[in-house]
Amino acid sequence: MTGADILLEALEREGVDTIFGYPGGANLPIYQRLHAHPKLRHILVGHEQGAAHMADGYARASGRPGVVFATSGPGALNTITGLATAFMDSVPLVAVTGQVASGMVGRDAFQESDVIGCSQPVTKHNYLVTRVEDVAPVLKEAFYIASSGRPGPVLIDICKDAQQAECEPAWEERIQRPGYRPAFEPDLSQVERAAAALARAERPVILAGHGVLLSSAEQELIAVAEKAVVPTGTTLLGVGAFPVRHPLSLHMTGFMGTGWNLKAVQNADLLMCVGMRVDDRVTAKLNDWAPRAETFIHVDIDRSEMGKNVRPHLEVVADAGTALRAMLPHLVPPPASRGAWLTQIDRWREEHPLRYAKSNGHLQPQDVMIAMYERCADEAIVVADVGQNQIWAALWWNYLKPGLFINSGGAGTMGFALPAAIGAKFARPEKAVWCVAGEGGFVMTAQELSVAVKHQLDVKIVLLNNFCLGMVRQFQDDFYGGVRSEVDLRHLPDFVKLADAYGLAGIKVERAEQLPEAFDFAQRTPGPVLIDFRIDPSANVYPIVPLGAGLNDFWEQPDDYA
Amino acid sequence: MITPEVVDTRRLRVVTAIVQDHPGVLSRVSGMVRRRGFNIQGLTVGPTGVPGRSRMTLTVDAGHAEADQVEKQLDRLIEVIEIRDVTDSPKLLRELAIVKVSVTGEQREQTTREVQGFGGRLLAANEALVIYELSGEFESVESFLGLMRPLGIVDIARSGPVAMTSLAGLAGPEGE
Repeated sequence: MTGADILLEALEREGVDTIFGYPGGANLPIYQRLHAHPKLRHILVGHEQGAAHMADGYARASGRPGVVFATSGPGALNTITGLATAFMDSVPLVAVTGQVASGMVGRDAFQESDVIGCSQPVTKHNYLVTRVEDVAPVLKEAFYIASSGRPGPVLIDICKDAQQAECEPAWEERIQRPGYRPAFEPDLSQVERAAAALARAERPVILAGHGVLLSSAEQELIAVAEKAVVPTGTTLLGVGAFPVRHPLSLHMTGFMGTGWNLKAVQNADLLMCVGMRVDDRVTAKLNDWAPRAETFIHVDIDRSEMGKNVRPHLEVVADAGTALRAMLPHLVPPPASRGAWLTQIDRWREEHPLRYAKSNGHLQPQDVMIAMYERCADEAIVVADVGQNQIWAALWWNYLKPGLFINSGGAGTMGFALPAAIGAKFARPEKAVWCVAGEGGFVMTAQELSVAVKHQLDVKIVLLNNFCLGMVRQFQDDFYGGVRSEVDLRHLPDFVKLADAYGLAGIKVERAEQLPEAFDFAQRTPGPVLIDFRIDPSANVYPIVPLGAGLNDFWEQPDDYA
Repeated sequence: MITPEVVDTRRLRVVTAIVQDHPGVLSRVSGMVRRRGFNIQGLTVGPTGVPGRSRMTLTVDAGHAEADQVEKQLDRLIEVIEIRDVTDSPKLLRELAIVKVSVTGEQREQTTREVQGFGGRLLAANEALVIYELSGEFESVESFLGLMRPLGIVDIARSGPVAMTSLAGLAGPEGE
C-alpha cells in the first residue's frame, strides 16, 4: 500500500466519516487515492482556515475529532488560526498537511514552510512523517492524543515521498508513549476535603467550564449542586453545562457575566471551579477576584492549570465527571445558613436583571435572540462568532441542555461562526443549526457560504448587522475616551445580494414586527438562509466590567435606555 | 573582553527531565519555555543509560509565572517522560567552565596554584595565554571566574549546570 492509502485507511479505522480540506501540490498523492475510500466524505472548502473551523465545529457538535487536509506551505499555514482556536478551547482535531519531499525539506522548496515549527505552539502535539512505515502508527497515536485527556488539535505533516512510497502497514493497537498520562484518578482525600468544605461553607459558589461539557458531566454537576445546595454558574465556554433556568443557576460569569453571578462570586466564602482555566475573562482584575473566598477548590484534568492563574487551597486533578462522581457520596446537606445565601442571590437577581433598550425605535439584537429562541424549543445548535453577537447569543438564550452553544471563547477568532456552523451541521444533520454573527466577522470567512450552498445545508445565518465593529466600538466609546477609530463598516457589501450571488436565500429585517415572518421564512426555506438583521447601531453588551477593573465594578445597561 | 553576566538567582528553577530523543524535542522544550514567559539560563542535554532517552537539566527563570509552572508546563509535552523540579531538593549540581586568560610569567605560576586550590586545572598554555578548567557548583564557578576576571579574560565557555538528586540526605560517598 502507498502511504496515501495507509493514511486514508487509518482514518476509516478511526471511524472518520468527514474530512474538510483543500488539495495542492504536496498532498496530491492523498487526493489521488481519495476516491478509493468511499467511506470518507471530503468537503472541499473555500479556504483552509475554513476547513479547520469546520472540523472544529464538527468536533464540538459530535464529540469526535474533526479532520482537516491541507497542502504544504500556505495551505498548512492557513490552518494555523483554526488550530489555535481549537487549542485554546481544548477541541480534538487531527490536521493532515502535505509537506515537500523529505529530501527537499530545509531547501526552501516551492511551497515549503516549517509547519512543525509554526504549529508547535498551537497544537497539543505534532509529527513530521518522512517514512511510509510511520504513517499508520502516527495516525493511531494522533487520534489517541487528540481525543484523550485534555483534548486538543494534533497536526501530522507528511512528506510527499512518504505518501507515495509503499509498505505493508502495521496496524498496531498499542500506543507506547511513556511520557503521556492523559487521565488521573482523583486524590480521594482531596475530594473528601472538598465535599466537607462545600457542606461547611456559608456562601459557596460553583463555576463550571468547558471541561464539564467535554467530559459530558452535566448530570453529575447538577447532582452535586443540588445535593450540596450550591448556586452554580458557568463560563462563556461552559454555557449549557448547567441549565440556565435551574433555581440554583447563576448563569454566566466573568467580564460580561450577569450581575447576580458577579455579586455571588465576589461575596462567596467558597468557590469551586470545575473544568476551567480561571482566565482573565473570568476573573477580570485578578487581585480583586473573589476577595471573600476563604476556600478555592480547583477541579481540572490538566495539572498545569493548578495555580497557573489562581492558587487553589484544594486541588482535584481529574476529569470533571470522574471528580464530581467521586465527590457525590461524600456530600452532606448544608447548614441552615445556606438559605440566607440563596435568598441573597435571589435579591441580587432581582436587583441586577439582564436588561436592554426596548423603545428607541431600532431593532434590538436581544429581541432577535429571544425570537430565535422561541422558535428552537431548546433543541437547536447555536454557533456564535466573536464580539457583541457572541455575548448576546450566550446571555439571551436559555440553554437548558448541554452542547447547544458553540463559540470561540478562548482564542476569540472572528470568522469562526459560519465555518464552525457548517461543520456542526455535517456532524449533526438532524439538528437545526443557527449561525449568529456580526457583519465584521462574517465577511472574514464568508467564502464558505459556497460550501453550505453546494451541500444544501440547513444552516440559518442570523447576521446582527450594525454597520460597525460593535464590540470594538463599545470599548472605544466606554474605555477609550469615545474616540472611534476604524470601526465603521458601512463599506461592506449588501448581504442580501451577497447571499444571492452565492445562491442562497437572503432577506433583510429592519423592524421587530418583521421577526416572526423572518424566522418563518428561515425555517420553511430548505437549505441555507441568510437574514440581514439591521440592528440598533448603538446597542451595547451589558453588564460589562471596565477594562482593568474588578468584577465588583460591573456596568449595567444605563437606566435611560431600559 | 567578555564580562560574565550577573544572574539573579531568586527566580531560578532547576529542573531535570528525561525526554524521548526525537528530532525537535529540544525545540519543543525551549519553545514552551519561551511562550510561557520563562527564560532559560542554562540547558544541558546528554544521553542517558537507556537508548532513545536523553536527560536534560534546565535552569529556568520562571519570570512572572508561579515557580511550579516551569515543571508543570514542561510536563505537558508528550515527549517529556519524567520531570522533576529539584530546586529545593538535596542535589548535586555541577557546571563546567573553561576560561582563556592572558597571564604570563610569575603571575601565571601563582594563578595556576590558586586554580588548583579551587580544584581546577590547567588545560593548555602558550606564551601569551592559558586555558583553565573548573567543574563545580554555580557559586564556586562564579568565584573561580571572579579570580580570573582581573587577569584579563579572553574567552569563557560554560556548560550550564547538570543536576542529579543526591542520596536523600545520606552522608555517603557523594560527600555533600
